[in-house]
Amino acid sequence: MPTPSSRYLRTAFVVGLFVILCIGGFTYKHISELSQTSKVVKDNYSLRSELELIISNLKDAEIGHRGFLLTHDSLFLNPYNESLQKITNNLSRLDTLIVPNGEQVEKLKELKSDIASRFKNFDKSFSLAKDDAILSQDLLFLLHEGEIKMDRIRADITEMLELEQRLLIHNQEINEEKIGLTPLLFYGLLIVTLVILLLAYFKMTKDLKVLKENNVELEIFEKLTKQSEIVSNTSTWVWYIEENEFEFSDNLYRLVGEEPQSFEPTLENFYKYVHEEDINHLGQQVNMMMREEELPFTTYRVVHKDGTIRHLKAYSKLMDDTEGDKKMFGVTIDITSEVENYRIIEQRNQELERTNKELSAFNYVASHDLQEPLRKIQTFMSRLEAKEKDRISESGQLYIQRMKSASARMRMLIEDLLQYSRTNTSEKEYLKTNMNMLLEHAKTELLDSIEEKQAKIICDDLPTMEVISFQIQQLFINLISNSLKYSKEDVPPIIEITHEEVRSRDVEQIKESLYKFHHKITFKDNGIGFEQTYAEKIFLLFNRLHGKSEYSGTGIGLAICKKIVENHKGVIIAEGKPNIGATFIIYLPFLK
Amino acid sequence: MKLLLKFDFTKVCNTVLKQKLEAHQFNYQQTAFGEIELMDKVSEEQLKLFHEDINSFGIEVVEDPKKIVIQKIKDVIVDMVFNEKDINVKTSVYLSEQLEENYNYLSNLFSEMTYTSIENFIILQKIEYTKILLTNEDLSLTEIAFKLNYSSVAHLSKQFKNTTGITPSAFQRIIAKRKQIN
Amino acid sequence: MNSDYINIALADDDEDDRLFFTEAFEELKIKSKVLLFKDGIELMEYLNDSNNTLPNLLFLDLNMPKKSGLECLKDIKSAKRLRGMAIAIYSTSASEEDIENTFVKGANVYIKKPNDFEKLKKVLSEVVTTNWQYHTSGLNKDNFLLRL
Repeated sequence: MPTPSSRYLRTAFVVGLFVILCIGGFTYKHISELSQTSKVVKDNYSLRSELELIISNLKDAEIGHRGFLLTHDSLFLNPYNESLQKITNNLSRLDTLIVPNGEQVEKLKELKSDIASRFKNFDKSFSLAKDDAILSQDLLFLLHEGEIKMDRIRADITEMLELEQRLLIHNQEINEEKIGLTPLLFYGLLIVTLVILLLAYFKMTKDLKVLKENNVELEIFEKLTKQSEIVSNTSTWVWYIEENEFEFSDNLYRLVGEEPQSFEPTLENFYKYVHEEDINHLGQQVNMMMREEELPFTTYRVVHKDGTIRHLKAYSKLMDDTEGDKKMFGVTIDITSEVENYRIIEQRNQELERTNKELSAFNYVASHDLQEPLRKIQTFMSRLEAKEKDRISESGQLYIQRMKSASARMRMLIEDLLQYSRTNTSEKEYLKTNMNMLLEHAKTELLDSIEEKQAKIICDDLPTMEVISFQIQQLFINLISNSLKYSKEDVPPIIEITHEEVRSRDVEQIKESLYKFHHKITFKDNGIGFEQTYAEKIFLLFNRLHGKSEYSGTGIGLAICKKIVENHKGVIIAEGKPNIGATFIIYLPFLK
Repeated sequence: MKLLLKFDFTKVCNTVLKQKLEAHQFNYQQTAFGEIELMDKVSEEQLKLFHEDINSFGIEVVEDPKKIVIQKIKDVIVDMVFNEKDINVKTSVYLSEQLEENYNYLSNLFSEMTYTSIENFIILQKIEYTKILLTNEDLSLTEIAFKLNYSSVAHLSKQFKNTTGITPSAFQRIIAKRKQIN
Repeated sequence: MNSDYINIALADDDEDDRLFFTEAFEELKIKSKVLLFKDGIELMEYLNDSNNTLPNLLFLDLNMPKKSGLECLKDIKSAKRLRGMAIAIYSTSASEEDIENTFVKGANVYIKKPNDFEKLKKVLSEVVTTNWQYHTSGLNKDNFLLRL
């Protein structure tokens, strides 16, 4: 990561620099102390030499003094005066060399007073010596005194020298310490610097490596993106908000029918390709994008220079850069094929709907209009029977009977067909209905038959859901009436209606459903049942398992049931066991 | 010269009747072709005069005692049903008590004169009352079944459907929709 | 019912149905006067003429040319003078919703044309009788709903 890395580097450098400066500071202090120390040593030596000079100068003064005493030659006073001067100089230099508050100050004072008294002694002896040629008693005394004073001065000086020596040694020791430390510090400084340099080097090499790898990945990625854009007919673009500049990907150029980067990526240039009818709308959307910093899905058409029209869909969102520059990343897709497909599907749908409507209208009208003449036939037949019975022969009456049953059958067929046509769902409303109510109505409709067969209907509580009421009612009627019709002879039919909620994925037949849950309603009877092999056939239109003479029926009832269940996006399954009974399971999806 | 005439008897009778009623200043309502209801009380004298007047036109007031009995039977039944009378005895017993006649006689007379049986009439009244309770009082079918002493809701439902041909709920629905339109 | 005429009217474009209808009433021995109309226009012309006697009971076929049964029903229910007439829709068949719809629009009776003459007689008799009951027993005509 470049950013944290540069921070690292910066910190490392700052720390390193700080360390170096610290160490440098320390080193400098050491060196200045060192020079200080050597100055001290130098002063020490100067002091010592001054002290030694004092002694030698004193000795010169003594020689001069003795010489004068011996010869009374004023020639010998010169060295004496010179020495005096020299000693004065020495003392004044000593003042400068002495550490103000040290022990030496006291000692110097003593020395100074001793020297002063010695010179007093010299002066006394000079004044005495002038008078006599021989050593008088006083003179001898003075000379002795002088010797004693000289000793004292020597002692002072020796003391001072010793002290200086001690000081020097002390200094030396410190010096040695410091000298000992300095190379260490230098090495330390050097090592730290080296270490920092090394660390920096390694870090930078590592970062560089990562950057290189990233770079390679990015290059691959860029190539892939370019390819994928071409293959999937998509393109990308960037709008740099602050600078109001655009960047178009190669494929965006291709989407408008041009070569990549063949013109400058600006809005004006792009608008040249937009269909004249869509320019206003697109312009508005783009303006809004510039205000709101968001472009919702926008579709528009572009016209290639060869006249081809393509449909494009654009979308863009604000991408926050870490550096703070605001950018918008956009995607533009060519959706021409989707639009085409949609149009085709729409068309087909409309056609289908139309055909459907026509079919069901035909169905309805046919069934309805067929009923009229049939009814007439039946009514006239019954009139014939009633009025002309006596005048018709036996065979004639038989024929009439046959005609009656044939027309009765025809009527049933037409009624059932009519019912079938009514299960067409267009213009039917799905309303929330309590299915218990529909079941009750169904039972009421079939009340006579139920009583006649002494049937028992046991039912669970049924749910409330959105259904086409009359269709579900018809469904229940058809199923119950079937159970009543196909009951065992002399066995009162027992019909059990149960309900439970199931998860679609737990049931084979509905696991592909888009709905998660289904209502499972089961109609179970104890009638004659049927062979399981016919379980799917029985739902076919006009399919019957029994002859007309055994059981009446048109073969439409269950087809109607299936259609109704399918209208409600459900599934109906039949299970039969010959002589035991039949079970019809209805699955109806619902949203929980 | 000859004129062939065609008579619209209904029109003739109605016109005569209307004239006569107005002449006698009766406040009346024609409830059926052969039935007039006098809204105000009329004295015997006035009635007698009226009778005589219309008699000359061939119109007779029927004072069939049988009819009076029929009306009484109807009144008793209506009262029984609409006032929710709690009868502890069989309807036949109750009727014969109220009218002080043998039930068989009443039954036969009723059928002869009205072409329906007493039982049917009672059922009809009950169903009518049910209709009123459903629409005006907003009672549930269960409550009504209880009120009218039906053994169960199903029984009432069945009778309703048998009598009218539609279910009680369909009836309610239709009445509600009619109200919506108006 | 007593020995008085009841005025019946039928509007039906079908000749055979008109024939059945009149024959049925003849055999019923109910004292009735049956008026027949071929289509809705004829019917409304008759009804709107205030000189004409209004029928006690009107049987109305739904599928008629020029003016359908439902249109006639609408006109009748909007006319103050005609509103009180008992109307029976007499039709071949219709879905449950359509039947309910005719009741909602103001019909009192809905009859599905039977395919048997005896049934027809029975049905017509029931309608007439029930209508008479409403007539004579002071029952609320608005609640007169009958489906056969």
